[in-house]
Amino acid sequence: MKYSYYPGCSLHTTAKEFDISTQIVMQELGIELQELEDWSCCGGSVAAGVSHDVGMALAARNVALAQKQNLDLLASCSGCYNKSARAVKALENETEKERITAILSEMGISVSDYNIRVRNVVDVLANDIDISAKIKRPLKGLKVACYYGCLLTKPADITGWDSPVFPMSMDKLSKICGAEVVDFRSKTKCCGGPILVPKQDVVFDLTKQLLDEAVSLGADCIVLACPLCATNLELRQPDIEKKYNVSYKLPILYITEIIGLALGIKPGKLGINKHIVSPKPVLDKLGI
Amino acid sequence: MAAKKCFFGMKVDRQVDGDKMNPNFLKKVISEGGDGAAIAACMQCGTCSGGCTNIDRMDLSPRKLILMVQRGDWETVLKSESLWLCTSCYTCTSRCPRGVRPSDVIEAVKAIAIREGIQNDSTRFNQIFVELVQKRGILFEPELMQKYGGMEAMLEQAKLGIQLALKGKMSPFPAKVKDPKKFNEVLEKASQK
Ligand code: SF4
Ligand code: SF4
Repeated sequence: MKYSYYPGCSLHTTAKEFDISTQIVMQELGIELQELEDWSCCGGSVAAGVSHDVGMALAARNVALAQKQNLDLLASCSGCYNKSARAVKALENETEKERITAILSEMGISVSDYNIRVRNVVDVLANDIDISAKIKRPLKGLKVACYYGCLLTKPADITGWDSPVFPMSMDKLSKICGAEVVDFRSKTKCCGGPILVPKQDVVFDLTKQLLDEAVSLGADCIVLACPLCATNLELRQPDIEKKYNVSYKLPILYITEIIGLALGIKPGKLGINKHIVSPKPVLDKLGI
Repeated sequence: MAAKKCFFGMKVDRQVDGDKMNPNFLKKVISEGGDGAAIAACMQCGTCSGGCTNIDRMDLSPRKLILMVQRGDWETVLKSESLWLCTSCYTCTSRCPRGVRPSDVIEAVKAIAIREGIQNDSTRFNQIFVELVQKRGILFEPELMQKYGGMEAMLEQAKLGIQLALKGKMSPFPAKVKDPKKFNEVLEKASQK
């Protein structure tokens, strides 16, 4: 199996461990990734709300580039995944396709009729491969809260491989890895990602509710697949602790990191040392 | 609009009002990606509002916002703070039994609001974000913080910035696409349309 790999802006900066762990886990499972050549930002949740055409062209540009490579597109970041999948759906609509094609052709990029599929790393790991035979170091005793957020599974007509309301794919993967999964009711409650900067107080409030529930359930860490959620939950966790005068120190790990650990890959090779909130309690618990 | 009597305790505005749609406004919403037929299909059930991330903080619930779009009540819609409290979480769109896609309608209205000259922190942030994405094709976050929040934001984020740099997660050199000039020109033109 081979995919055109689209890392996106975050995986080369604040979410480097997601990039590193995706690549090594996929390699371990025999899946080949070829980085999408000359990829650009997907526009996130912001661009189409400034100009629909700019947002759709940004999202579709990467899809068109993957078409050129004749490969399905694989993204780890939930946002990049969602926007690329949305672009594929938009290209099925004649009017949208015309508008998108006109813009991209000015950039010298042609849109072909060959419709590729856009996949997220969670979808591939949960639905295409059986990782259970490869587990070398079961995560015994580790309690995890799987957080899906929004863009990984919503809306269903763009994503479609897991429930938009109460998804289970990461729960399933974590269990295969030997972890105990808590019943996280807030698993699809939004952390406020796209409005973090202009509406910081609101977003801190939303994110705090997630941290509170995970802690009250006794989770050792939150497991996720979105760098934007991780920005709120991890990078801004110290700010939230300060604002509300609480202490969480709750490790936030990408799903590929915990799968990597269960596959027996060394933490350093997964990029686990790159976290801002220390994942040491998790490693200690596992005796790694 | 004349006030309507409360009928059997039902909220006064809770009714399907599709016949009063304003075609001009609707046209704009559609050209920014809203689905006109779907908007007309809204039956005002309130499912979208029930699951909305920020419903507690909004002045117009997604249900009401769709009703105002149906009625063509420009002012109310464009001035609503709800546009900037919406997190594009897609919960409304996932749950709507009539396929209305309130999140996409809000996205369309946001773009219209910016064109109509609505200005606040959110519009400023969103515009700077797009400007910088267009500039290089790949977002360079420190520049976004600096342009949006100035020196104050840079100082506030300095500690996190240093931590990220030490972990090799922030380079002082922005990444870019192969031909950023062309990239920017084409998208700039597309945004003017
Ligand atoms: S859920 Fe759909 S039909 Fe119900 S009020 Fe919201 S937009 Fe209208
Ligand atoms: S997309 Fe916006 S309106 Fe819809 S549920 Fe989320 S926050 Fe509410």
